[in-house]
Amino acid sequence: MKVGAERIGAILATLVGAGYFYEAVAMPDVSIGDPLGPRLFPMLLGLFMTLLGGSLALKPAEGEESSFGLSPRSWGLVLLLGLYGYAIPMGGYPLCTFLFLAVGSRLLGERSWLRCLGISAIMSALIFLLFTKVLDIPLPVGFLAFSGG
Amino acid sequence: MEGDTLAHLLYGLQIALSPVNLFYAFLGCLVGTLIGVLPGIGPAGGMALLIPLTYGKEPASAIILLAGIYYGAMYGGSTTSILLNVPGEAASVVTTLDGYQMARKGLAGPALSIAAIGSFIAGTIGVLLLMLLGPPLARAALKFGPAETFALMVFGLSMVTSLAGKSLRRGLVSTLLGLMMATVGTDLPTGIIRFTFGIPKLMEGFDVVVVAIGLFAVSEILSCAEEMGKEGFKAAPLGRIWLSARDFIQSLGAIMRGTVLGFFIGVLPGAAHVTASFLSYTVEKRLSRNPERFGKGEIRGVAAPESANNSAACGALIPLLTLGLPASAVTAVLYGALLMVGVRPSPFLFQKHPDVAWGLIGSMYVGNIMLLILNLPLVGLWVKILRTPARWLFPMVLAVSFVGVYSVNNAPLDLLLATILGVLGYFMRKLDYPLAPVILGLVLGDLLEQALRQTLMISGGSLLPLVKSPICLVLFALAGVVMVAPRFIYKKGVKLEIES
Repeated sequence: MKVGAERIGAILATLVGAGYFYEAVAMPDVSIGDPLGPRLFPMLLGLFMTLLGGSLALKPAEGEESSFGLSPRSWGLVLLLGLYGYAIPMGGYPLCTFLFLAVGSRLLGERSWLRCLGISAIMSALIFLLFTKVLDIPLPVGFLAFSGG
Repeated sequence: MEGDTLAHLLYGLQIALSPVNLFYAFLGCLVGTLIGVLPGIGPAGGMALLIPLTYGKEPASAIILLAGIYYGAMYGGSTTSILLNVPGEAASVVTTLDGYQMARKGLAGPALSIAAIGSFIAGTIGVLLLMLLGPPLARAALKFGPAETFALMVFGLSMVTSLAGKSLRRGLVSTLLGLMMATVGTDLPTGIIRFTFGIPKLMEGFDVVVVAIGLFAVSEILSCAEEMGKEGFKAAPLGRIWLSARDFIQSLGAIMRGTVLGFFIGVLPGAAHVTASFLSYTVEKRLSRNPERFGKGEIRGVAAPESANNSAACGALIPLLTLGLPASAVTAVLYGALLMVGVRPSPFLFQKHPDVAWGLIGSMYVGNIMLLILNLPLVGLWVKILRTPARWLFPMVLAVSFVGVYSVNNAPLDLLLATILGVLGYFMRKLDYPLAPVILGLVLGDLLEQALRQTLMISGGSLLPLVKSPICLVLFALAGVVMVAPRFIYKKGVKLEIES
């Protein structure tokens, strides 16, 4: 339900504000000729956030209806993206990008495996070469480094 | 005075016309147009994910490249609006109203031409105004002490908070989130480590570029993946390309009004291109003797907003170049990029880095001409690119954006951070929390806090300097007005007359 989602968002904002405020209060109070110190500004931010989040949770802002919920496809993409990011340092950019493009396009509706693998292989190689060779931006190659990739 | 400006301009043109920078301007315009053309990648996200292109370049070249992407995207957005009824970026939404109708009548060519010519005229006049107004404003800003700087930033953040979204409270949550993110890391004056939760990587704080890519680019793709159709888009036929003299003369007034309006709206923090294009459309419709033609393929309905968003792009550079204050998501990304090449935007920019400031201005004249020449012949190419199915386009954009994220610090953790921020951005979009204030809060948070602390340090803990300076008072009053006024006006029922 729409209001439900809005409330959850507002409650999260409240919690973030409160947690942040708590962390700010717990900070050591050091000031070197500086009346404000490192704590006060964050404390104010945390306080405002908590109050605002609370007010939004109690009385959601008027606005257009927004119906949503991440579809399985988008969750899949998020998960895939997380895995991709996690794997890049080990697996290297070219290999991981190849796998990411292949699985990603499949996830978003590409039906032919042949096209999936073919286009992914070409595009991952192209992107990798464009950045590393043409634009001189180093990217991790992972264990492919041993095979001269 | 004027001779001075001329000498500086010549210096700027000299930098902009060097073969290397000419190439970067060209590359920027080309890539920017592509970003503008592709729905799903806005200028802020697009610029952020292409920041790696600037690594190891001279600061002047870096900003010339990025600025090319910026106004290239403004040009490119119109193409898809006209041909496909799909705005490539938010500022081109109004262009769809009359642009697509023109295309359906077989007048896609004239619509594209007037968009390109209007953008060219507006862009050129916009740079001219930027050049004339920038340096004196910067000199005035040099007199600002920490108290005035603090007030200025409060004003800037209020504008953005107020104008970015429909709800003031949600806008404030976004701003606070950005400010809170800005406090993460080592507190420079005291060396205290704040809010890192034991993660060593966070000691340096959040990187603007990583946050911008995650929040804008990644979340945009996630939203689009939700809504995407199965195939690429189908374009209306191009028809005749050239504009008749009558069309041009008819549109000239709209172009000029759009240019001036757009520029000054662009200068205001937070308003920028989207407001500029919507407002200029409304103005044209009001002024027209045949308002009923609008929405049915009126050429002025294309000319005005497309001019306005380009001159707004120039106007938006004013606060950045003269005050060191990024006032929109795009200029916040530019700010982050400048920091990465070792240039801190401030009122001293024109003095300390004349190559950057004047090189940028020079390159914008050049870039506008380039875009005018590039735009029309390449329309066919853009239409072909748009036929790329989304299922391929989206993963590829994500793969490229990860190059951007990774190359900032070569830190694997940034990749996860960008993913998390992408999900956060997705939910914020869905719940109507505006994203621009987050990035601005992040960029300005540190400056805001330091300005406040310096003020209090000088005054020995008294808040009086903040209310004693007339500049501060005016800025605080303005901040109050912008927070309250839009709600008041909306309640009175005065709304932009845009039928969706």
